[in-house]
Amino acid sequence: MADQKTQSTKKILVVEDEEYIRDLYVQILQKEGYLVDAATDGEEAYMKISKKEYDLILLDIILPKIDGLQVLEKLRKEAKKISAPVVLLTNLSQEVVVAKAMDYGVRGYMVKSDLTPSDILTEVRGYLNGEHVRTQLK
Amino acid sequence: MNVFEIIGLIILSFALIVNLFLVFLVYLRNPASATHKLFTFLGISLSIWLVIFYISSQPTSRDILWWMKFSLFFATLMSAALYLFASVLPKNTMILKRQHIISFTVITVVVMGLTLTQFVFERVEYINNAPNPVAAPGIIIFLFYVLLTNFYALIVLYKKYKAASGLIKNQLSLIMIGVLVMHGLLITTITLPVALFNQSPFISLVPIYTLIFILLTAYSILRHRFLDIRLIVARAVAYVFLLLFIGVGYIAFLFDLAILINRDKPNRQTVQGLIVPAIIALLFAISFQPLRRFFEKITNKFLYKDKYDPNTLLWDLSRIMASTLSLAELSKKILEKLQGAIKINYGAIVLTRHSSIIWVGGAGNTSNRPFKGKDIYELIHASNKSQNEKENILIFEELSESKTKNIMREHNITVVLPLIVRKELIGGILLGEKSSGEIYSSEDIDLLKIFAPEVAVAVKNSLSYEEIKRFNITLEEEVKRATERLRKANTKLKELDNLKDEFVSIASHELRTPMTAVKSYLWMAINQPGQTLKNQLKKYLEISYSSTERLIRLVNDMLMVSRIERNKIELKLETINVCDIVKMVYDELKISADEKHIDFKLLGCETNRYNIKADKEKLREVFQNIVGNALKFTPEKGKITINLKMSGQNKVATTITDTGPGIPKEDMSKLFQKFSRIEYSYAKHSSMPGTGLGLYISKQIVGLHNGDITVESEVDVGTTFSVLLPIVSTDRR
Repeated sequence: MADQKTQSTKKILVVEDEEYIRDLYVQILQKEGYLVDAATDGEEAYMKISKKEYDLILLDIILPKIDGLQVLEKLRKEAKKISAPVVLLTNLSQEVVVAKAMDYGVRGYMVKSDLTPSDILTEVRGYLNGEHVRTQLK
Repeated sequence: MNVFEIIGLIILSFALIVNLFLVFLVYLRNPASATHKLFTFLGISLSIWLVIFYISSQPTSRDILWWMKFSLFFATLMSAALYLFASVLPKNTMILKRQHIISFTVITVVVMGLTLTQFVFERVEYINNAPNPVAAPGIIIFLFYVLLTNFYALIVLYKKYKAASGLIKNQLSLIMIGVLVMHGLLITTITLPVALFNQSPFISLVPIYTLIFILLTAYSILRHRFLDIRLIVARAVAYVFLLLFIGVGYIAFLFDLAILINRDKPNRQTVQGLIVPAIIALLFAISFQPLRRFFEKITNKFLYKDKYDPNTLLWDLSRIMASTLSLAELSKKILEKLQGAIKINYGAIVLTRHSSIIWVGGAGNTSNRPFKGKDIYELIHASNKSQNEKENILIFEELSESKTKNIMREHNITVVLPLIVRKELIGGILLGEKSSGEIYSSEDIDLLKIFAPEVAVAVKNSLSYEEIKRFNITLEEEVKRATERLRKANTKLKELDNLKDEFVSIASHELRTPMTAVKSYLWMAINQPGQTLKNQLKKYLEISYSSTERLIRLVNDMLMVSRIERNKIELKLETINVCDIVKMVYDELKISADEKHIDFKLLGCETNRYNIKADKEKLREVFQNIVGNALKFTPEKGKITINLKMSGQNKVATTITDTGPGIPKEDMSKLFQKFSRIEYSYAKHSSMPGTGLGLYISKQIVGLHNGDITVESEVDVGTTFSVLLPIVSTDRR
């Protein structure tokens, strides 16, 4: 709680199509003091990432319209600089997909089902501080 | 009797003996044949004529006119015989028409009768002491008849000669030469001198003239390998020369010596006079053998120009057969060799199976040669059980008229040899006639008979080889096809595998999504800050939460199993100290152990480093799983010891020993199986069930590290798991 003020300036984009989970993440992150933006599909995510600046982007892979990987691909093709580190937050564990994502410069990879809300907050804090990179695959 | 008379008598006797011998030989060869019969008739009438002619030419004979008349009588018969013989030759049946024979016989009988009357020879006049018949006008009829028949015989022979080919042409040419020589000599040395000078010094040679004719004709008819007349002639000539040489030499020498000795000592027949000729005779006797060989060599040179050495030929053929396994090459080389040596114009090797021809290899002149498979098979079949029971060979000249002979004639085949391997007929060798027109000599036939079984074996071997080759090709094709099928199946399987992979990924994703929501919201409910739940409710929520956790673990484990089984696991290898991993796990689980008041120790890492190449994260899960199991099954106040030490030269063993309930022997084998759920443990620890996949996954992962997990256990005492991993290096701190 001591560094709540510095955290409040951080902007996080949550890309998640599943309503309950999106709500949960937005809720716990806001409670922690972050400015949270949410996108419900790939296109929206793409629009938001290319227009706004964030400090961290939590990106799901399986998304409506265009998937997480395609979002990354599109951004790379248009040579848009992504201001924030991207961390995959997904339930998909396909090594091929993860390896591809890593090629696009993704900072980390988290499996949603393995993490409790408090785990998520710990991870987010770590990424924002540029501390740890955890790419554990389960 | 003077010397000439004696010589004349000797010549007559010799000619008679040889004539009759040949005539009977020919007759006995094939008594049923019209040609042979007519030749016999001709030979006998000729012999009789010779005798009568001899008597009639002796000035001392009584009733000389009658002998002369008889001479003409048999000359007529002889001409008739020649005419018939020429007409029928070389057929075995009487081909002349009945009316033809009857009218010819009537005319002949009339002429013969005429010769005995006064109208031909009126009387005998003696000129220079030699009897000389005085001809009457009837002689013209006789001469006309003789000239006509002889002339006609020659024309018939010539026509046949023109139409014939090969062997028959050769036969006919010999007979024609015989007739021409006989007539030519008779006319030039007898008829002309007698007509001009009323006498001839060659009269006594007449039997020789006829002998030439008979000899050539008999040879051409017989032409049989069992009576190689050429050989007889060659040997006879050699002996005559020998006899002449020795005789003349001996007599001359003896004569000269006698004169020499007698001149020195004219009145004394000394012992020397006997000894010297005896020595000379001895010398001649000694020189007989070398001389004979010399003459034989010379005559052979003339009469056997194309002679080959059968031993060399057989040796060459054997070498050919040993040199190749290819059927085509084998047959080609054998036939070419045979052609070269025996001078055959055509040769073929034919292979048969089940009454049909399966392969033919030919060499030489094959044009104008019909090839009727059925006929050829019949030939080969006939050769196998040929009429001549002792021999498996068909020789055209030796066959009596039959279907087989006709087939041979039609196909221009002279010799057929069957190819037999272990009493099984596998084919035959067909040979055409010799390019010289000669017949096959007994030497040729012997050679072929020796050689045919060898060819049969070689061909059989070739066939087997070809079969194996063909089989190999088929096999290769089969393998190729099977491989292609497998490749396709494999591609399909890979596609299916990828589909399955995708399915498992998606399915697990879909399972995890609601579970994430459930788990997260349960967690939120339990950990709501500033709110206290009723104990009962909190317990319910915690059970729900741990069940969700378990469900998630199950999905994770299944994903892992799926990956392991599809070899999709990729190890991120790094050199790492096993102690570091184990320590991490130990620290993680120490809290739970303390909660259960378990004596939890880690030994062996105080001073040692065990460096291995490993995927740190995966190996950590392995130890987590095994130590976690130990914790789970060890009752409160129990003991768990983790110990690291070397196992053998290059392995580090991490043993995890607990004081749990132990595993009965019968369950040991199930331990590392998928979803192995050991009965008692399920019953006893249902409150903390695992997924049933943990040990299976652990074992697989350790296996990927070239290590192994072993287990020892005793019921009611405890269990020890050992994780063995290959070591890179050890350090002692």
